[in-house]
Amino acid sequence: MTVRRTGRMPWAHRLGRAGWAAVLVALYLFLLAPILVVLVESFDDATYLRFPPQGFTFDAYGQVFANESFRLGIQVSGVTAAVTALLAMIAGVPAALALTRLRFRGRSAIEAAFLSPLLVPHIVLGLALLLILAPIPLTDTYWGLILAHLGVTVPYVVRTVSAALMSADPRAEEAARTLGASGFTAFRRITLPAIRSGLLSGGVIAFLLSFDETVISLFVSGQNTVPLPVAVLQYVEYRSDPSIASLSVLLVLLSVVVVVLVERGLGLRRSLRSG
Amino acid sequence: MGDTPHLVLSGLAKTYPGADGAAVRGIDLTVERGRILAVLGPSGCGKSTTLRLIAGLVAPTAGRIEVDGRDLTDVPVHRRDMGVVFQSYALFPHLDVARNVAFGLEMRAVGKAEVKRRVGEALELVRLGHLAGRRIAQLSGGQQQRVALARALVVEPSVLLLDEPLSNLDARLRSTMQDEIGRIQRETGITTVFVTHDQQEALSMADSVAVMNEGRIEQTGTPQDIYERPARPFVARFVGRANMVEGTSRGRDGERTLVELPGLGKVPAAGDPVETGRPATVMLRPHRIALAAAAPESGGARGTVLSAAYAGETVAYRVRLGDDGPVLDVERPTGSEASHGPGAEVALSWDPEAPRLVADPS
Ligand SMILES: Nc1ncnc2c1ncn2[C@@H]1O[C@H](COP(=O)(O)OP(=O)(O)OP(=O)(O)O)[C@@H](O)[C@H]1O
Ligand SMILES: [Mg+2]
Repeated sequence: MTVRRTGRMPWAHRLGRAGWAAVLVALYLFLLAPILVVLVESFDDATYLRFPPQGFTFDAYGQVFANESFRLGIQVSGVTAAVTALLAMIAGVPAALALTRLRFRGRSAIEAAFLSPLLVPHIVLGLALLLILAPIPLTDTYWGLILAHLGVTVPYVVRTVSAALMSADPRAEEAARTLGASGFTAFRRITLPAIRSGLLSGGVIAFLLSFDETVISLFVSGQNTVPLPVAVLQYVEYRSDPSIASLSVLLVLLSVVVVVLVERGLGLRRSLRSG
Repeated sequence: MGDTPHLVLSGLAKTYPGADGAAVRGIDLTVERGRILAVLGPSGCGKSTTLRLIAGLVAPTAGRIEVDGRDLTDVPVHRRDMGVVFQSYALFPHLDVARNVAFGLEMRAVGKAEVKRRVGEALELVRLGHLAGRRIAQLSGGQQQRVALARALVVEPSVLLLDEPLSNLDARLRSTMQDEIGRIQRETGITTVFVTHDQQEALSMADSVAVMNEGRIEQTGTPQDIYERPARPFVARFVGRANMVEGTSRGRDGERTLVELPGLGKVPAAGDPVETGRPATVMLRPHRIALAAAAPESGGARGTVLSAAYAGETVAYRVRLGDDGPVLDVERPTGSEASHGPGAEVALSWDPEAPRLVADPS
């Protein structure tokens, strides 16, 4: 009986596995198709966007860097995203600590306030920020952009870091204190390593969200500080050529590189520890 | 060793902020140097809270904690010098076994060579020398438990506190670890308080046992005191199994009190005397009652077997006394004597030491 079963099972098993693989491939194709189309198009030699492309050249990539507004946009978005990520961490990590560690009156109200920007449509946030920043006046400045981006990035940092803190064992920190570590030392030596990956992904998410932010940026940017996504929108309003596709490919690459670097960094540190 | 008070708790109480009642309601306890005290009680009675108060992880609402005559009540956790083993072990997942054990020594700024030597010794003590380089995630429950023990012991704390250290282990490993902890405690001679809800564990491992209920200590004594001379019905019921029969005191009979019990007549019982005419509760342990097939017209206590459950080494009977008297649990060893089926008429007997008066809390 067992013999017959083992003779048959792998067959059904293999069919099941093949089915799963097919579903997965189809799913990935569906998700990746737009990127693939853009990737292929980025090598076209035409002066307008078309699909399928006919020629093959790297010219479009050159055009991206030759374009003044793209170059400026990369600079504005890069600086904004870096400062935003840093400040979002400085604001978000202590907030996450307070929300997960302390019991105080109105804690859940404050928690809701921290997370509510996640629920508000960006177009509403953008309009509100414009109304607030215009009279200061902070519109069309780096600080205006950074302030606006903090509104959408801090909630993500709070959420990611809170989740990491919540999964760290509070008893381990207590054990460290009974072994002679002061509260701060116990946090630094025991809890911090446990939430390191949460901190890192919080910072990376903040950076990528800010770099990618379009709707809110449209409201609060002007002629002087034009972040890359806004520059792209302005460009395609009048023209559409393969350099837009090339730029998109570069943006995807940036995200992938950042994520891979972070993953590698974490993985490397982990294997160093265990080795 | 022994006889000099080492750890002294007086009037220790804790009410958590926002809680309706107190978790711990005034505890007085003394542990002598080098002895093991077990705090035994049901879930939620405040055992962990008591241990956390001693360790300094929560601040008491009232009361004092003294070690060696020194008041530690306001000393912060990291200066109390107490080794704590948590129920969940609370090992440091990002450090290997040796680094876990070394942590307390590093906090005391002990030199590298000495750290290495003492970590090695501590790991030998818990028989884990061969696993020094392992990651925590690669250890079994019993091994993790021993790492936690080594980590607490390596700093040579003045007092060792264990919070249900064995409750996550299976029955076999638990009894091995009970022996192991006993051996380590004897070898190190460290004053130890451990918390458990397992009465067998408390009786077999401790020099003295404090039975706790709803934030209070019901009785403190040697394991024999607690088991054979319970001071209150709660202790009798919680530590081992007990038949509690309520009756009326009918005066003294030499050393004992005569208690009139339904279905049993006047039974002499040891324990604190109860005034004639007052209600009295008598405890009878199931394994101290003997059963025999009832001879017709013989005197003494008689009853009818309601059920007999075979449990390997013993048979557990339920016996109704007289025609409508109380039902007693009786436990007899298998093999050596005849068994009785449901419906059988039996005669009950016990040695005169078996029945004990147990005072009501009032
Ligand atoms: N941090 C806390 N805040 C509020 N109440 C608490 C807290 N910790 C424990 N309690 C309450 O105090 C009482 C005693 O809890 P404790 O953990 O000391 O019980 P325990 O005897 O250790 O129970 P168990 O055997 O289940 O571990 C319980 O009613 C519990 O709900
Ligand atoms: Mg507990």
